[in-house]
Amino acid sequence: MRGAHVKIEGLTIRHGRSRDRAHGADIALRNIDLDLQPGSFTALIGPSGCGKSTLVNAIAGFTPPAQGRVWIDGAQVHGPPPEVGVVFQQYALFPWLTVLGNVRFGLKQFRLGRRAEVERAEAALAEVGLAELAHRYPQQLSGGQRQRVAIARTFATGPRVLLMDEPFGALDAQTRVDMQELLLALWRKRRATVLFVTHDVDEAILLADHVRVMSHAPGQLVMHYQLTQPRPCKLSRAGRDLLMLREDILGLLRPPGTFRPEHLS
Amino acid sequence: MTQSPKPNSPFATHTARSVSLRIAGLPGAAIVLSFGLVLSVWALLGAWSEVPDTILPAPWDVWGAALELWYNGSLLTDLGASLGRAGIGFAIGSTLGIGVGLLTGRVAIARVMLGPVLSLLRPIPAIALVPLAIVWFGIGEGSKYFVVSYTVFLAVWFNTHHGMQYLPETYLRAARSLGATPRREFVSVMLPSVAPHILAGVRLGVALSFLSLVAAELSGASSGLGFRLQEARQYIRTDRMFALLIILGALGAAADFVVQRLGAKLVHWEQA
Repeated sequence: MRGAHVKIEGLTIRHGRSRDRAHGADIALRNIDLDLQPGSFTALIGPSGCGKSTLVNAIAGFTPPAQGRVWIDGAQVHGPPPEVGVVFQQYALFPWLTVLGNVRFGLKQFRLGRRAEVERAEAALAEVGLAELAHRYPQQLSGGQRQRVAIARTFATGPRVLLMDEPFGALDAQTRVDMQELLLALWRKRRATVLFVTHDVDEAILLADHVRVMSHAPGQLVMHYQLTQPRPCKLSRAGRDLLMLREDILGLLRPPGTFRPEHLS
Repeated sequence: MTQSPKPNSPFATHTARSVSLRIAGLPGAAIVLSFGLVLSVWALLGAWSEVPDTILPAPWDVWGAALELWYNGSLLTDLGASLGRAGIGFAIGSTLGIGVGLLTGRVAIARVMLGPVLSLLRPIPAIALVPLAIVWFGIGEGSKYFVVSYTVFLAVWFNTHHGMQYLPETYLRAARSLGATPRREFVSVMLPSVAPHILAGVRLGVALSFLSLVAAELSGASSGLGFRLQEARQYIRTDRMFALLIILGALGAAADFVVQRLGAKLVHWEQA
């Protein structure tokens, strides 16, 4: 299953608060153009509150645009498209279902029959290393395990576009590294088109082959870096180029007027 | 005081069970201690004080009155009549409450049309409805069902409606992005999400069904615990009143216990 082509043209999104409308304070995203090539891995980075999640919600079909359009493989997005999978920061696992039940939830749409559905869900859980916890409930798992379940649940439906909204933001450093490795391994197998929201520059550089930087609200895409390392991405991306790129992005994320070390000299 | 479960317990099911036991009530020792204390003070007062029996009957007099009610057959009849009314009224009220609550919580037009009216009706106490119920339904069973189901309905409606306003948006989004149809989204995501709120309403409804039942029976009934209380007043049988009040208390506590245990099983994931 190949990744799908995501195309966004002139996308503007407003918040529901109409009292802000007069002075334009309700604009969450302004005039976004974005093109995600099939099978690409794009990290979206920006200061908190700049509208990264809003962009994800628009592609996922959760938030209708005020202006502009979103296409997935040439089909305009109106509601949640079946080929788009979403992984949320808060996991969004259903606490009333077991781990297996959560994964099966996404498979119901395919009407596989009970046997095939369970088999496919178990295979998806095995892929993230959680086969043994299939009959636990999400609240009995650690944060990292929960996010593994969420990833398994989304991957099991075979999404051609994968939207991840700060999926590892709530995890501790070591778990985060494990999850990044797991994600890359899964992605190499599936080659879905990934849009990965993060506020961590290192994570963005580590995972993605495109890094998009978003400005303060109203959100606009201000910079696009293409990382030229050979695929599949190596976890040990080091070297001068990347360090300079890192500094560059960090500079963009700093709001103007904040303290910089060079002011001291 | 209750103590929180060990945070790193590897056997989380175990933890969940001990939590539900803790919620179910105080430890047995505390119950015995509490009742023992009250009973002994009461017994001492009954044995040595100059308070007349018509004001404060002694525990053994109350026990005697309870036995008397049991052996002359009226207690069983009254229990049957009262529990039947409470049960039927509760069933009607909670079913309607859940149904209308889901509707006003989900459908904008129902919310606009019904919400304000129901909010206005909510503060009216059950007892104030009794005269109206008698005019509408007579002094038979109908007026009791009406008063009980009405009070239960409002409590259950309010909690269900309120719960529907706070459905976690991420659950709904997750469901939609996982290809759930609107019907499956409602049945498999909204209903379980709102279930803890419904349960809270139902628990309140159980307590209110006893409250409103006695209110309805105090005026215009020929059987039932409320009627028997009223009758005891006419004969100044304070010992009977005490017996009936204790029975009412025990019934309410038992019903709450059952609902709470059933609810904890049903909403097993909500063990906070």
